[in-house]
Order: sequence, then C-alpha cells, then structure tokens
Amino acid sequence: MTAMRPASTPPAALPIADALWTSADRALELARIVEGAREVPVGQTPKELVWRKNKARLYRYTRTTPATRRTPVFLCLPLINRAYILDLRPGASFVEHLLAEGHEVFLLDWGVWGAEDRGIDITALVTRYLPRAIRAAAQTARRDVTLLGYCIGGVLAVCYLALQEDAPVRQLVLFTTPVDFADAGKFGMWTAKGVFPIERIREVYDVVPGELIGAGAKLLQGPLADVGALTQLAQRMSQPGFDPVAWQSMYRWINEGTPFPGAAYQQWIIEFYQENKLVRGTLRMDGRPVRLDAIRMPVLNVAAAADTIAPRPTTSAVLSRVSSTDREELIVQGGHVGIVVGRAAKRELWPKVTDWLRRHDG
Amino acid sequence: MSDEKSEGAQADPFALWRQWYEASEKAWGKAAADATDTEAYAALQGRMLESYLAFQKTARGMATAQLETMNLASRDDVARLGELILGLEEKVDQLMDELPRGRARARGPDSTTAKPTPTTRPAKPTGTTRPAKKRPARR
Repeated sequence: MTAMRPASTPPAALPIADALWTSADRALELARIVEGAREVPVGQTPKELVWRKNKARLYRYTRTTPATRRTPVFLCLPLINRAYILDLRPGASFVEHLLAEGHEVFLLDWGVWGAEDRGIDITALVTRYLPRAIRAAAQTARRDVTLLGYCIGGVLAVCYLALQEDAPVRQLVLFTTPVDFADAGKFGMWTAKGVFPIERIREVYDVVPGELIGAGAKLLQGPLADVGALTQLAQRMSQPGFDPVAWQSMYRWINEGTPFPGAAYQQWIIEFYQENKLVRGTLRMDGRPVRLDAIRMPVLNVAAAADTIAPRPTTSAVLSRVSSTDREELIVQGGHVGIVVGRAAKRELWPKVTDWLRRHDG
Repeated sequence: MSDEKSEGAQADPFALWRQWYEASEKAWGKAAADATDTEAYAALQGRMLESYLAFQKTARGMATAQLETMNLASRDDVARLGELILGLEEKVDQLMDELPRGRARARGPDSTTAKPTPTTRPAKPTGTTRPAKKRPARR
C-alpha cells in the first residue's frame, strides 16, 4: 500500500523531503481507509429472513450447532441507527457472542424509512410492528423469548410490554434505554419546548434526515469529534498490527444514520422528551394507557457510566417503575455505543449479560 | 544529525496536526462542552435550525412547483402512493391476525377462549443472506 520511495532520495541527507514524502504516503493511505469505510463489510453473521412488514425485517441468525439455551433472544434495535451495530464484524459482534453461548438469536431491523413512512409514529411501531415480529420469533422458535432492546429499541420494548401483558416474552433486557426525560442532559435542553422547532421540522421533512439527528449526537462529543476520529486513525495507522477494518466498520456505522419517520420523531420529542409521559404514566397508545408498573417479568437494565446520549438519570429510572421483583442494574464503564461494541464490551458487558441470561434460562 | 532529525519532525504534517489537535482539544473541548450546556446556547441553536428549515421549506416548495408545472409527479405524490400500499399491507396483516380467532369461532364455543395461535405473514424465501456489498439505497 505504501508508495515506492525513489532510491535517489537518501533519508539522512534530505530529512525534510523524506518526512514530507512519507507523510504524503500516509495521507494517501488515510484517505484510502476513510473512503473504503463506505464499502467495508458489516453484519456478516449468516441469517435468514423470517418476517417482514414495510421496511422492517426480522432475521434469525443461523446456528451451526443446536441451541443449548432454551430461551431465544430477540434484539430490538434503535430506529435511528443501522442494525448491524450488534453484528459489526467477526470478533466484534454481540450476535456472534450470543450464538456461541448457545442462544437462538432474532434481530429486528427497522430498515431505512422513506417519505411514504412519514405517518408512522411510535404508537404504530409498538402496536402494529413489534407485536407481530415478536409473535413471529416466538412461533419460529416455539418458545417465549428474551426481549433485548437497545436505546430507542428498548423504549419500544418497554411500551410494548406495558401494553401487552400476555406477550410471548419471558424477560426483558435493556441497553442504555432512556425512560425518564426529566433530566435528559444536553439533548433534553436542546429539545425543550419553546426552543426546539419540532413543528417546523415536521412541516419540512417527511422523514427527518439521519444527518440532522447525527449532527446533534456529534455535537455532544464536542466540536472536534470528527477531527479526533481522523487524528486517532492517523496515529494508529503507523502502529504494528493495526486493523483498518475495525476502524472502518465503526466509522461507517457512526456516519450511516437512518432517517426517522416524521410522525415518530414528533411523538418522540413531544411525548417523551418534552412531556415525559412515559414515567408520568400519562402516555397512551391506541387509546390505552402505557403503564410501566404492568411489567412484572425479570428485568436487567444496563446503563453506561459515561453516557451523554442517554445519561444515567434517564436510564436508571426504569427499575423503580416496573413491578418486577427480579430486577437488576448493571453499570458499565463507557459511553452509549462503546459499551455494546468493542474490546470493553467483550470484556465487561457481553459475559455479564449472557451470565444473567443463563441464570434466567427457562 | 540531531538538527536534521528535528527538521524532519517539523516537516511532518501528521505530527503538526496531532500537536494542533491536542492543543485545540485541550483548549476548546471543555469550553465548548460548557458553552453548549446552557439554555442560551439551546435557544441560539433553535433559532439557527429555524432559519435553516425556513430555507429548506422554500427550496422544496420551489422544486415541487416546478415539477407541477412540468406535469411530473412530485416526491409528495410518490409518497402518497406508497402510503396507500402500506395501508393495504396493514389491512392484510389485520386479516391475518383475525384468521386464527375466526377459525376458533368456527370450531365452536369452547375453542373461542383458547389463546389465538400467533400468525405471521410468510416472508419471501431468501435462504441465507449475506451482507450487501453496496450501501442500501436511502429511498
């Protein structure tokens, strides 16, 4: 990959020229890695499609050996990010870890919303998409499932279980799921009533562009977040054993947001962030109250200690609101994304989650 | 010799970039974090967003008007058609949900109390899927 250095340029004799030449090579290599991130393979664990509705797809991951755990795991992903974050690449895949631990694994990918989905709100996802997908998984596996929701996916899971007491779900696992927006950090402040032009956003966009939502998330990391990522790459490129694919897959995921259906975004901002209806017990879906105390199953709540997207106060409240007697909180060092993927996830989070699942395997 | 080395280091744009980033991040990172954590900043950001959206609205309105003049379907027209198809899909799903309950009712009064069998719309057979090599289309 490194360009040939002319033999006529002795490094010791012309150090400045040599340094510039080497830098040019590195700049080219850096550009190649960044550009290649768009095409880097992700979500490679083999899977089959078991259910679909509109853009949503339910996948069942292929097992090479029979499952040794009785309870399948159903992964409910956030709306605004690509679903492959939990199956980023071989060796950095929560899905792969669950399969290795003997579970059947289902993943609900919401897909990429288009303008025709502008009228789909959170209520539709909770009452018309999620119940059918979970029933399809339970029917395919012939077992009730563990429902695992990540971020907004966790909010959808919570609302669904609060509404549907006879759901084919044995237990609930939440990853960085905000439920109480009274102290929602910077996002809470930026989206406050009278400040955030939600009605105007809804007027202009059928689906809120992923770039707009992503810009907010990046702003949380600081103004130099993008430069920081490239600086880190430039530094790591020269280290022995550097794997560009690892960097590329994460970079691809961060920069590949998905649009949010307009009606869902409006409901998310107004009813959850601004009016905090979920924990106040005033949220209604299809005319029915969404009551967190209707949840009685075992709950494992995973929070990230340094989460700026869903800060601790937003995620920890769920345990005091559900009626479950078997409830546990796991606080992991790291940020909103860092705790679910990467080296720390492999060491800190995944084994603890699968241990909890093993103890609750019915 | 050591002077030459130091000259080389100074000519390395990556080293300079890193130095600049570390210094800037140190100086500005905390200041920016504090500045964006205020209600004044939230209000300013809201106003900036409002202006941007006003521009977007005008631009989109002009594009739609041009398409109408040329007798071409606008994005909104296509979206409406898509919504109709989605509505039909939902109706089919509702019928599929009702099917087991209808079957139970047809079998007799005792079976109506039975928990309905979960129904699913069969997915298109795809076999084992592999990740797409190209980025999926946005729309």
